[in-house]
Amino acid sequence: MNYQFHWNVLWTGQTGGWLLQGLLTTLHLSILGWLLAVMLGITSGALRTTAISLLRWPAGVYVEFFRNVPLLVWMFFWYFGVPPLLPQGLQEWLFEHGVEFWAGVFALGVYHGARFSEVIRAGIQSIPKTQFEAALSTGLTVLQAYRMIIVPIALRLIVPPATNETLNLLKNSSVALTIGVAELTFQTRQIETYTAKAFEALAAGTIIYLVLCLTIARLMARVERRVAIPGLIARGNTDTA
Amino acid sequence: MKRYRCLWLIVIFHFASSDFIRAETTLEKVDKNGALIIGTRTGSPPFAYVNKNNDWVGFSIDLVEKAIVPVISKKLNKQIKLEKKESAPQTRIPLLTSNAVDLIAETMTDTQSRRDSVDFSLTFFATGAQFLVKKGAQIKGIQTIAGKRIAAQQGSTNAKIIRERVPSAKLIEFPDQPAAFQALAQGQVQAYTNDGIQLAGLRAKAPKPDEWVVVGEFFSYEPYGMAMRKNDSDFRQVVNVGLMDAIASGLYFEIYDKWFGPKGEVPYPLSPETKRFLQMQVVPK
Repeated sequence: MNYQFHWNVLWTGQTGGWLLQGLLTTLHLSILGWLLAVMLGITSGALRTTAISLLRWPAGVYVEFFRNVPLLVWMFFWYFGVPPLLPQGLQEWLFEHGVEFWAGVFALGVYHGARFSEVIRAGIQSIPKTQFEAALSTGLTVLQAYRMIIVPIALRLIVPPATNETLNLLKNSSVALTIGVAELTFQTRQIETYTAKAFEALAAGTIIYLVLCLTIARLMARVERRVAIPGLIARGNTDTA
Repeated sequence: MKRYRCLWLIVIFHFASSDFIRAETTLEKVDKNGALIIGTRTGSPPFAYVNKNNDWVGFSIDLVEKAIVPVISKKLNKQIKLEKKESAPQTRIPLLTSNAVDLIAETMTDTQSRRDSVDFSLTFFATGAQFLVKKGAQIKGIQTIAGKRIAAQQGSTNAKIIRERVPSAKLIEFPDQPAAFQALAQGQVQAYTNDGIQLAGLRAKAPKPDEWVVVGEFFSYEPYGMAMRKNDSDFRQVVNVGLMDAIASGLYFEIYDKWFGPKGEVPYPLSPETKRFLQMQVVPK
């Protein structure tokens, strides 16, 4: 293979700044998307475990509909599909204020929300039914039992699979480049355009994603240990990942 | 996102492959496989695109098929087939260097920085960047895009120039032409910039061509070349001879007429200067 590596393209000129900008956009996009995903996930995950079918089935429809359509399609949906439905003035305002970024946030949040929902449902369902009944018998209402007993315990149980989902979300944020969001993968391509050095740019992207993901995994492991309730979930104390 | 997965595989393959095996030349590779593999586009009419009958055709593909493949076949003394793979601005150089394709024949602009990584054939088409806008729009050229939302193609030279010359323009870059055109049609952006000839092609293929106009003077010079692996002068010679023979014999202009003539896909008359420029590139036998 006759290819000359020039690693210095990664820090000469503007490329360093682009990588940093891309990293910040990826983080910004992922954090907002994650917050939306977790909110939707907790709500719909909890609803899916209730005894009232009128609450259960809309949550079920949400999960099945959103997790079974590819993320790329959701990106296009929020970017190309939604704006024409809005009034003209609002449309113009959105176009002037970076609609592609918000379309990306919604696509990521809503799609991963459906996936988080299943993780949370599994967490709630792994809690013995007696715990819920005990909560009710102390005089808590159903909503209070969920809010103060069931969901807090479930959230502790699901930290490992939620870490997985979080990493997926971070990496999936790169799909937003299809609607023109200048995130990290986008910037590595930009470097390729300017320098014609594709391998170096891709390698830089790979390493940044790897470092980000490892950091998140570490952080989540620390959260897991920090919030563990002694005696309730023993695993939390022995895991030293 | 199969394309990305491919890219990562290429990267891994690259690191796994070692340099002590003597690299085989492109002609040896073509001889062994009995086929020339080109990387080309699927959505850049009329250079390379998939037409209504689902055939993968275009001006660049025709040039390879009718001008270059016969020369290679003659040189190797056997009939060579043409295979096509999809390439995009971000994948074309890795595709070449990883030996996945032998020649990039699409709408690739020859630039000095690209010449650090790949070699180019002689220029087979010359154009420049312009804007596609809705009829009656305020944008008339690069002087009038300050503060406007402009779509460009990721990895294109046009985006680079706009970023440098009009930093206040809001540049939104899309991976391919259809997405950029969709954004223009819906108003997410106010203009789409690309090489003039490609915009003319896009307009001709649009559902209502009359609603769109290509505006502005060329704000860049985009000489299209075919790219190949660096330091393989035998192969480069064959490709160049194919193109030169076609220009000298008039075959090039026949193919040009088929795609850009009055009855072609995208009527775009060849200017006398461009014709002269093409002919001047032909060196004597």
